[in-house]
Amino acid sequence: MSNRINWKATILLILGTIFILFPIYLTVIIAFKTPQEMSGNILALPESWGFGNFTEAIEVTNFFNALGNSVFVTVLTVIIVILTHSLVAYAIARNMHKKFYKFLYFYFISAMFIPFPIIMLPLVLQTSSWGMDNLVGLGILNGVMHLAFNVFIYVGYVKTLPVELEEAAIIDGANTFQVFWKIIFPMMKPMHATVAILTALAAWNDFMLPLVILSDSSMYTLPLVQYAFQGQFSTDYNLAFASYLLAMLPMVVLYIFVQKWIIGGVMRGSLK
Amino acid sequence: MKKHYGKFLVSAGTAAAILAGCSGGSDDGSVTLELFSNKSESIDTYQALIEQFEEENPDINVELEAPPEAETVLRTRLTKNDMPDILSIGGNATYGEFAREGVLRDLSDTDLLSQVQSSYVDMLGQLAGPDVEGSFGVPYATNANHVIYNKAKVEELGIEIPKTWDEFIAALETAKEAGEVPLYLTLQEAWTGMAIWNGIAGNIVPEDFAEMKNNGEASFVEDYDEVADKMLQLLEYGHSDNFGIGYGDGNNAFANGEGVFYIQGNWAIPEIREANPDIELGTFALPSSNNPEENDLVSGVDVALAISESTEHPEEAEKFLSFMLEQDVAEQYMNEQSAFSAVEGVYQEDEVFDGIREYFENDRLASFQDHYYPAGMGVENLVLDMLINGNKTEGLEVIDSEWEAAQNR
Amino acid sequence: MKRDHAFLLMVIPAFVLFFIFHTYPALQGVFYSFTNFKGYGNWDFTGFSNYFKVFQDSRALGAYGFTFQFAIVSTILVNIISVLIAMGLNAKIKFRKTLRATYFLPFILSVLIVSYIFQFIFTHMVPDLGQALGIEALSKNILGDQDLAWVGIVIVAVWQSVAFNTLLYLAGLSTVDEQLYEAADIDGAKAWSKFWRITFPLIAPFFTINMVVAMKNFLMAFDQIIALTGGGPGRATESISLLIYRGGFEAGQFAYQSANAVIYFIVIVVISVVQLRILERKEVK
Repeated sequence: MSNRINWKATILLILGTIFILFPIYLTVIIAFKTPQEMSGNILALPESWGFGNFTEAIEVTNFFNALGNSVFVTVLTVIIVILTHSLVAYAIARNMHKKFYKFLYFYFISAMFIPFPIIMLPLVLQTSSWGMDNLVGLGILNGVMHLAFNVFIYVGYVKTLPVELEEAAIIDGANTFQVFWKIIFPMMKPMHATVAILTALAAWNDFMLPLVILSDSSMYTLPLVQYAFQGQFSTDYNLAFASYLLAMLPMVVLYIFVQKWIIGGVMRGSLK
Repeated sequence: MKKHYGKFLVSAGTAAAILAGCSGGSDDGSVTLELFSNKSESIDTYQALIEQFEEENPDINVELEAPPEAETVLRTRLTKNDMPDILSIGGNATYGEFAREGVLRDLSDTDLLSQVQSSYVDMLGQLAGPDVEGSFGVPYATNANHVIYNKAKVEELGIEIPKTWDEFIAALETAKEAGEVPLYLTLQEAWTGMAIWNGIAGNIVPEDFAEMKNNGEASFVEDYDEVADKMLQLLEYGHSDNFGIGYGDGNNAFANGEGVFYIQGNWAIPEIREANPDIELGTFALPSSNNPEENDLVSGVDVALAISESTEHPEEAEKFLSFMLEQDVAEQYMNEQSAFSAVEGVYQEDEVFDGIREYFENDRLASFQDHYYPAGMGVENLVLDMLINGNKTEGLEVIDSEWEAAQNR
Repeated sequence: MKRDHAFLLMVIPAFVLFFIFHTYPALQGVFYSFTNFKGYGNWDFTGFSNYFKVFQDSRALGAYGFTFQFAIVSTILVNIISVLIAMGLNAKIKFRKTLRATYFLPFILSVLIVSYIFQFIFTHMVPDLGQALGIEALSKNILGDQDLAWVGIVIVAVWQSVAFNTLLYLAGLSTVDEQLYEAADIDGAKAWSKFWRITFPLIAPFFTINMVVAMKNFLMAFDQIIALTGGGPGRATESISLLIYRGGFEAGQFAYQSANAVIYFIVIVVISVVQLRILERKEVK
């Protein structure tokens, strides 16, 4: 039986993709339509594939500025996360037998159970009084918010790495930091990928934290811009959907090219 | 939200600037002011005026912020101790609180207040309360909470402009029988219900209800009973999905001929006209009682301009306020926004307002009741709950108890 | 011991950041919950009075009710659907890679934007369709109905979250040894009993984690609600996150909502612990 194709499952799964793809199809066709076409059959293809809505959306929402902000925050977050979280996870994983590190591990992990709204009010107060209500502050906070989960999967991974290599390096006279940088950090590569993907997606799509942290609209990230422009989109759904599509496009394009890698990374993380 | 293209390239520069902690002033001696507005309707108008101001004052940049849920955002900013330099906000409970809490700059010594009608200065003073010395806001635009009607339809149905509640209901009946949507409701957005609530309450509920309520001399159950009845009655004249359509879609639908009457403020008029430039509209005051003499127009300060106490550039901010008060600037604002002017010598001449002009001329104005409710009780959602459940007594009891809870918090 | 010092140094950056930006604000929140702090200006200690008020606050209780109803239903639906899809994707199917990529797609999209798109679907498309087909139940915007609006939010939450959970289950299923199934086939086991006897016990650990993680994410729901209903109609879909955000910054409620947040935290910890206990016991069986 093992080599026969399961057509029943295949067909059901193909039918199921309609649910996934329909909203996306809708977004694309509405983004290309004119307001006049909206009164007709909404599901029909647009009469022409002009980019008028997109150029207008880019202009109105100052798209490239928001894109720049989103890229900046995401990259900064990933850098902070990869550097600090892998470091702490390594220290914890190699010292789990000690009370202090064990405590530290559970102290960090427990944050997974703390929903953000619980610390939101004081955090807003604190970040703004420290002048961190900007993109750099946002990157740092993102790093903190993802610590629990990342430590969880990093520690799980480091534990599977053999200690022998490290011991050999220490005998050769390397200190602990050198061991980390030269041996462990490169060996953690598959986990870096997983952490980078998950953190980047979360930072890129995050809405609540930027909403409460950022005051200056020139720093708004892509999701925040969609929110901020709701009032101005009003009932011009074509413009609004063009703007949504633009905001989603960078990730979708990236996904199409590296989806195998992204899915692989996430699955690897879940097995830890 | 100024439009600058090619800023993509500058993004890295932006980041560097953030790191350097640029806050307002920069090296070339220019000053950046932040203007916070609570109205998304006026973004384009403000942007055009800002451009003009910046041309006249090349060393001052003004950046406009007009986010959704502006009131929550503004309060977040207050918590952050990060108030914008200039505020353009409604004359409501939030304004009153800001004035009391010393968040705003006293403008009594400037020549700004002499350029606007003193009755509106007094109205803002009432919001702040009797214990507050000084004037903290310049009333700029005022509004009218009225019934908007589709002229063509009203003429076609042979409806006379109603002067009493019974006449209004009769008009709605006529429209209903003709198969029209008599009253277009947009209650998916709860605040739109407050236009009706305030419109009815303005003439029925005692003017000093809030004070009486706080002294335990009045309650919603007693004093708003009739308001609730009438609101529930109006629901019968809506469309098939009264709670499923929001403000934007409602403006659009009304502009395209759905609905004969529409209870909204003057701010909706430019939006409706944008959706259909050819539509002919008229307005009248909501006749909430059966005595035409008693039916005044509900009107308040729609836009008050204020300067925050913490601004680093009070002179430049005052300069911007003076600019806004210039006759041609104020005229442009009032025309584009279909607003009424608090600025002396500037009048709203749009013929859509022919039906309500006499109220302004004869000072037959009532205030928005909810401007005196405690901030943060979210009354619009309570009113909506009552409308959806149709349970008047229970709904009003909840509003009473939420008022008390909000006062105690 | 130099090595020990080095390890301590490695801990410092993450620990300092975490303490300053997570633990410290949490402690501050607890502190403020015993005051009447408005977010600005002066304040006094008020003892437990904020806590008592939360328990009498119909708005807060309503938010708890809605949030839990939403979170429980969504968690169950997401997990059922994800297991099914994961099993399908794990079977011998054609176009496996493309299908897997398609089902994972929602995970990379912004919740807020997806919700705006669904808001349009619920407000315009579904009612138009309902009216055209003469189906009464579909001819209104469900987001405008106090009894149904939460369903709309569940639909969007499930649409989006199934992607990630499917992948987690798929990872779990890929660890199941094919030979076990073949052995079961020889024994003549039915598909149903194969699932319960072989598949489920093996993916049970993933089940535990998925339930807890999904539940926690749904208990934080904010983006979907802002975009779909704004908490309405009335207060019907106001989640706890939304209440804390709106209430916390509105006049005089900073301390009060901090107390609400502390209660919320305790509730979540209790639920997570209970959930883990129950599910782990099941696993052992």
